Order: sequence, then C-alpha cells, then structure tokens
Amino acid sequence: MSTINRTHVAFAAVGAGLIHLALVVGSPPPFAVAFALVGAAELVWGVAAMAAPRLPLPRVAFAGALLPTLLWAAVLLAEVALGTPAAGGAASLPLLPLAAASALGLFCAAVLGVRLRRSAPPAPRPAPGAARYLVGLFAGALVVASITTPALAATEAGRYAHPHGEHSVVVDPHHGDHR
Amino acid sequence: MFSSPNRLLATGFGAVYVLVGLLGFTVTAGVPFLATSNGTLLLGLFQVNILHNVAHLIIGALLLICGLSSVSAAKGMNSGIGAVYLLLGLVGLFLVGTDANILAINGADNVLHFGSAIVLLAVGLGADKPAARADSAGAAPTRA
Repeated sequence: MSTINRTHVAFAAVGAGLIHLALVVGSPPPFAVAFALVGAAELVWGVAAMAAPRLPLPRVAFAGALLPTLLWAAVLLAEVALGTPAAGGAASLPLLPLAAASALGLFCAAVLGVRLRRSAPPAPRPAPGAARYLVGLFAGALVVASITTPALAATEAGRYAHPHGEHSVVVDPHHGDHR
Repeated sequence: MFSSPNRLLATGFGAVYVLVGLLGFTVTAGVPFLATSNGTLLLGLFQVNILHNVAHLIIGALLLICGLSSVSAAKGMNSGIGAVYLLLGLVGLFLVGTDANILAINGADNVLHFGSAIVLLAVGLGADKPAARADSAGAAPTRA
C-alpha cells in the first residue's frame, strides 16, 4: 500500500473518531459510552497509522472499522422489531454525523480488507516525491475535512460551537444566579 | 528543501498563514481586537478578527522559520502545531455551552483548519524519518 493511501485511511479514522466523540455530548448514556470508546480508539489508531510505517493491527482495525456501522444498524433494527419508543433510542440520534462516520469507517474497512486479502506483505515501494506526497495528502485531507466538519456541526456539540471570528470575552448576566 | 516534505510543508504553510494574517488586517480595520462579529469576510469566505489575524501571523512565522531551518525543526513544528490544532478541537467538543468552546465547526475556515491540522500531523509524524534521525545525530548535512 502506498504511503499516500495509508495516510488517507489514517485521515478517515481520525475524522470518524472526532465525529463519534462529538456524539458523546447529548446522547443517552449507553450510546454516549459506546461513542466515547469507539471514538477514542479510532482517534488513537488514526494517529498511530500516521506515525507507523504500515497500518497497525490490520485485522483488529478491520473489525473495528465495521463495528460502529453494524452496531448502529443492529440497534435500529432491534428497536423497530421490538417497537421501542423513539425517544432515547438509536432512531433519535442525529443521522448526518452517524452516516458520515459510517462512510469514513467503511472506507477504512474497504482498504484494510484489500490489504488483508494479500497473502504476503507487499513489496516495499519507493517513497513518492515530496511534492506528489503533499498533493496527495492535501486532496485526501480536503475530502475527509469536507465530510467531517459538517457532520461535527450537526452534532449537539456543534450546535454550541462558536463560528470563527467570534472569540470574545462574554460577561454572563446570570453568573451567580444558580438556584 | 524541496526533497523534504516537512520543510516544504512548513515553508509553504508558513508563508500562506503569514499572508492570510496580513490580508486579514485589510478586512478588520477599525474592528475591535476581540470582535464578536465582522461583516467583511476575508476572500469572501472567512470571518476573522484581530486576535485571529495575530494568531495566523504567529503560527505562520513559526512554521516559516522552522521550514527554512532544518528537517528536524520543520518536523517538530509540523507535528506540534498539528497536534495542538487537533487537541484544541477535541477539548472544544466537550466544553459545550461555555465560552471556552473554541471549536468553530461551521464554515469554510473550519474545513481548512481541520484539513490543515491532519496534514501537518501526518507529515510531521510520518515523513522524513531517516533524515530527521541523521539531523539530530549531527551526521549527514541536510540537502538544501
């Protein structure tokens, strides 16, 4: 696998991890715990994949990349089958962030799956030139950022975020008024 | 320099950030240092205030200086700034409802910031490894 492709997988994992961590805020407790664990694992694996010479723990990562999407689908189906009320269930979770995280996770799983199908480790390829490497990374980062940023904005955490250019000292008129 | 992704990235990003920082002052003339909003957008897309312009200038200068100096300096600064951006964004996710929630995750500038953060981190962590080790060991000189 080329260095550029490996880094794209790392970007996708970091993006999915951030989205899952953003979903912790405002989700019912069982889902919040799951999102925290999955998000942290994806973030750590993504950063490790940037630093390591090859994708770390490919079999575990393949299963881990598929797991959030499969769990989401399974819980939704179970709720439909059991007739569980929508409030507090998986159906009440924000669709766009989950769909975006699933897309990024499935991309990671697809690339890892292709890598795992090889019977032997690939022959080492010459490193790409610096300019080609950077252009490849920019393109991948732009795609992942374009998916991740709107997904983050659609989470509960995103609704409280301040747009850029609005960092300021705010005097809270209700400070000390706790009852 | 052109053979090292870290030096190329740090120099390029550094120059762009310095330029963006300077250009930002053309749309923040007369605007307070910590303005809560600014009607004029930089390049028609990005909202900035003076604090933001200063931050861009400082980050740009740091990247540019390290990019022009050595592979290990560029590698360290790329990794450091990429990590800080990502950590700030991560921490900001959990400071919901407070004014310390600085993760601004709406708007074109945030796509660029997140994309920049992961490129900086990936190149800082993943590229120029043998050259950086030679650099810090004081062995072979870095190719200009």
